[in-house]
Amino acid sequence: MTLAQRGRWTTIGALVLLAGIYVRALRYTPVEAHQGLAQKIFYLHVPAAWSAMLSMGFVGLASILYLLLKDMRYDRFAAASAEVGTVFCCVMLTTGPLWARPIWNTWWTWDARLTLTLMLFFLFIGYLVLRGAVTDPSLRPRYSAVVGICGLTLLPFIHLSVYLFRTLHPMPIVLKPSAPSLPAPMLVTLLLSFGVFTLLYIGFVMQRYALGEGTSDA
Amino acid sequence: MPEQVVQTGGYMIAAYIVTAVILLAYTIILARRIGKRHD
Repeated sequence: MTLAQRGRWTTIGALVLLAGIYVRALRYTPVEAHQGLAQKIFYLHVPAAWSAMLSMGFVGLASILYLLLKDMRYDRFAAASAEVGTVFCCVMLTTGPLWARPIWNTWWTWDARLTLTLMLFFLFIGYLVLRGAVTDPSLRPRYSAVVGICGLTLLPFIHLSVYLFRTLHPMPIVLKPSAPSLPAPMLVTLLLSFGVFTLLYIGFVMQRYALGEGTSDA
Repeated sequence: MPEQVVQTGGYMIAAYIVTAVILLAYTIILARRIGKRHD
């Protein structure tokens, strides 16, 4: 079985599991008292954000490894991860405003977390546009790696922005020094969703990486 | 109150549909690109 086929089956499996997450979140997870049904967007928005961050993290790490080792496989992996990260960023940036509208009474606000997240999206887009614009195959990986490393340095600021600035965005409730502050059924649904989105990321990247193999147009 | 629940439920359904559409669309796009490369 080729890498593309394995990636396809991983993706299909992850999509089936995502359907299971939908059922669990909508049917078997309690409704939050203050936010009502809109809070259930949380089970998609947060894992999508996680996958987008994971993508950019790997873009940055692969970029560093490419610059150190000059191995094209790292560049191809970074390109695959950046494209997949853009998709998860789209999910994050559409589900976020859909959650914000009923709760904050606005689709968007220019606070630190949201603005930095939008910057992450533009970095993903910039990375992909740069790869398309630089035709020289010896320069493209190097230029792209610089943008990838810029993206990596942005991640800690995004995570810590809710501590560093006054923001409407809620504080982390799982990725924080103390124990997660969620009731057990909600936490289990969220953690399962994290797992499914990570699996989706793996499936997508396997396929996208396979697509770049054997071509200069990674 | 029930009206508010219905309204927030609408946003929730929209978010769930949008997520499914984006992820399925990318799955199909990748499959087609890989299919084209094999042709």
